[in-house]
Amino acid sequence: MLANIRQSISDWIFRAKAPENPPVTLVQRRIFILPTRQGYTFAFTMLVLLLSSINYALSLGFILTFTLVSMAGVAMLHTWRNLAHLKLRPGRCDPVFAGETAHFGVTVETPALTRFAIAVRRTKDEPVYADVAPAEATPISLPVAATRRGLARCGRLEIFTRYPVGLFHAWSYVDFDLKVIVYPRPDPAAGSPPERSRTATEEGIPVGGDEEFHMLRGYRSGDAPKLIAWKALARGQGLLTKEFSAMASSELWLDWNDAHGADLESRLSVLSQWVIQAERFGQSYGLRIPGVSIPPARGEAHRTRCLEALALFAP
Amino acid sequence: MKPASPHLDFRNVMWLLAAMIFVVAPHLVRLPYWVGVFFLVVVGWRGWNAWAALRHPSGWITAGLTLAATVATWFQYGRIFGREAGVTLLLVMSGLKLLEMRTQREVTLSIYLGFFLVLTNFLFSQSIPLGLYMLVCVWLFVATLVGFNRVGSTPTLVQRLRPAAALLLQSLPLMVAFFILFPRATGPLWALPQDMRAGSTGLSETMTPGNISSLIKSDAVAFRVQFDGDRPAYSKLYWRGPVMTEFDGATWSVGRPSAAGSAYSKREQRTSYTVTLEPHNKTWLFALDVPAVLPSGAYMLNDLEVRDSRPVVERKRYEMSSYLTYRYGEGASPGALRAALRFNEERNPRTIALARQWKSESPDARALLNKAFQFYNRDFTYTLDPPELDRFNPYDDFLFKTRQGFCEHYAGSFALIMRAAGIPARVVTGYQGGEVNPINNELTVRQADAHAWVEIWLPDEGWLRVDPTGAVSPLRVESGVNAALGPIGVIPSLIAADPLGVLSRIRNTWQAMNSQWDQWVVGYDMFKQRQFFSTLGFPSVDWRTLGFWLLAATFVVGGAITLGLLVRDRPPRREAALVAWNRFCAKLAGAGLTRAPGEGPLDFLARVRDARPSLAAEAEEITRRYVEARYGAGATREELRALAQRVRAFRPA
Repeated sequence: MLANIRQSISDWIFRAKAPENPPVTLVQRRIFILPTRQGYTFAFTMLVLLLSSINYALSLGFILTFTLVSMAGVAMLHTWRNLAHLKLRPGRCDPVFAGETAHFGVTVETPALTRFAIAVRRTKDEPVYADVAPAEATPISLPVAATRRGLARCGRLEIFTRYPVGLFHAWSYVDFDLKVIVYPRPDPAAGSPPERSRTATEEGIPVGGDEEFHMLRGYRSGDAPKLIAWKALARGQGLLTKEFSAMASSELWLDWNDAHGADLESRLSVLSQWVIQAERFGQSYGLRIPGVSIPPARGEAHRTRCLEALALFAP
Repeated sequence: MKPASPHLDFRNVMWLLAAMIFVVAPHLVRLPYWVGVFFLVVVGWRGWNAWAALRHPSGWITAGLTLAATVATWFQYGRIFGREAGVTLLLVMSGLKLLEMRTQREVTLSIYLGFFLVLTNFLFSQSIPLGLYMLVCVWLFVATLVGFNRVGSTPTLVQRLRPAAALLLQSLPLMVAFFILFPRATGPLWALPQDMRAGSTGLSETMTPGNISSLIKSDAVAFRVQFDGDRPAYSKLYWRGPVMTEFDGATWSVGRPSAAGSAYSKREQRTSYTVTLEPHNKTWLFALDVPAVLPSGAYMLNDLEVRDSRPVVERKRYEMSSYLTYRYGEGASPGALRAALRFNEERNPRTIALARQWKSESPDARALLNKAFQFYNRDFTYTLDPPELDRFNPYDDFLFKTRQGFCEHYAGSFALIMRAAGIPARVVTGYQGGEVNPINNELTVRQADAHAWVEIWLPDEGWLRVDPTGAVSPLRVESGVNAALGPIGVIPSLIAADPLGVLSRIRNTWQAMNSQWDQWVVGYDMFKQRQFFSTLGFPSVDWRTLGFWLLAATFVVGGAITLGLLVRDRPPRREAALVAWNRFCAKLAGAGLTRAPGEGPLDFLARVRDARPSLAAEAEEITRRYVEARYGAGATREELRALAQRVRAFRPA
């Protein structure tokens, strides 16, 4: 009860509102600033300096103290300015497999001046620092261990800075509702999809591995390294992927019922491995799990579609 | 982009160590050499540690070093408090703190300690050069702080120094406001250590042949004087200090005079002046012979010695006035006169015998005085390096053997002769003359101007000043010690060798600057503050008003800086490009080339090129820049300004 009230007060103060429409500009009322612990220590040091100056009637001591106190005041403005008017947009949040590290990305832009040591962190996580130069968006990505299949949510982000002298902590919150899809961890012991699931196509010839070179096409991310036309790359033609005619000629159904596992998660892991393998071998494959049926196809988009279905599967 | 490293960056640590050495360097010259060696070794060790990424020394080692340093400090000074001992200990501890520093928090603490070390330097000196040097130290420390807060990237030298300089420069106005407005208190908040102002030179309570000539070699300023009216003649500038009546045969010393002031039976030629006295740790104040009106808190003894109620431990400014022509002490008490006749019969027998012989030859005091002056005038030399004298009979040795001496030799022996001849006499020490700075017309009296003369008592005339040094070296009294002895020390020699007087003008300007600095910066206390506000037209200002002004200044300066920061961070306006382009088109329209409403910039350019080939190059450049700024990658503020400049200079007609 009390925690709820505190949370809602905090939400009200910090104007938590999720998700926000990008881009978010850190205008004045979004930025909060308080002294850091070092700032308080500094204040104590200043007190000692002031008392010593008074006691020993050191005029230059007064000058020193007042210079440093004023410097702290100016530094507060600089710290605030270092954060003010930054423009934030959601960045890349690429899907990962469970067990890997997910990255929540945001991009930061500055209107004119370079901002140094801008930090972004999720609540309680280690911050990531970057310098933000003008004229281009600086990507910042927060690494998070993706432990479980499903949708990993980033939650509210804190963007803060203590530059230039660390006496003040200026911060702002932004919530883009960033999500990373976490695919089921592929089960390395899953083996090949069972024979039974192979379905003859119209040609009726299930083919194994004797593919015939068909054509070169542009590289799509996720294409198996062994399919990359390295010679073409060496000739300076860019990344190209070899496509084989056999890919088009066989078809495979990856079926929930064929994937044996102790529980739901391990079944999904098996299917995940099969999808990866089928795509790697260039086979046309379909996915059938309870409630979802994806007709056979191949290619990056298809693979993503299948893995997403597995990631988001809820019985 | 990278996560914050838990380890301290090597370069950052080096910056901190360098800043520390900078701030401690002036101390290393002042303190015992082992302190410097200890500090540098510890800092070197830390640097090596950071460079080689070694493990930190164990807590036992640092604890052991701490103990050793404390014990060493105790042995050096016999205590661990006080100025020198305290600074030594602080320095040693700072070194050890650097050694064991491993977290960001400890780094910050070390930097704050550095700021405190800056302050400790001011305990020893508040001169302009040291102030500037310490400003550089503060700059280095702030730059170090900036470096440590540049998490995620390694800043260049400029990227450290520039933001630090910007911070300090922008804090300047507020600092000045605080310095002027912050209410000053009187007196220390807690007891000052005994040796707070140690090391200041000056006159002492005793005078033995040789101890004033050691002062002469010091170029240090004793006090500065600003006369209200005309400056008296050089030979009148006798600055009266401690008066010595007690005499044991070798050493003259201050007696136990009563506080009852003497009545002047004649007082003329009153002159008023302000003295800025350097701290000398003693109570006496200096005044021209003889003091008329005393500053508040001061009192005068019956031998006309002016004393302050407390030792002068910080620079003191007081107003004073004196009578240059006077007569006093005719009615001196028999006790006081008896004290001024006392001497040790067993020491300096030849001197005493000579005095008695003169006395029998010429019973008249005036005649006796003349005899003595002639004696001194005959074959004595005025020198800064007199030979060593016999310990037991120094004046016999001086008068009959060496015959080379400095003012204390002459004054001491002369006073002894007078006493032995039955004339009450005493030695007065102080300063004679001074150096006039033509820039601000101020008289600077240095330790080198230290002097000793004699006062004798005659029944109808009271106490009379006689200066036996004048008999030997009249130049000393008329033009100063440099004229009498030739330039002493490096700087006066250089100035004497400079025919155009450039050096002496530089020296005078520098001294005038120092004087202003001492008065308005170093000496800015409660009184100065009041004086300053009353010249501004606010005779009575209480702390509430000061506080209000401070607050107002803070807001004004803070607002100005915020505005400045925001203006610099404004994104360049693309509309500026359009404004320039429209102006360009208008200029061409004036020359008969009007852009059609739907005509694109490049089409228009092609038409301009065909119609007016002479304008082609410039028109092309302007169009290219406009298209780039408005439809391309955009432009910085400088580029937009350059575009506007070009359009302004464009002359199609």
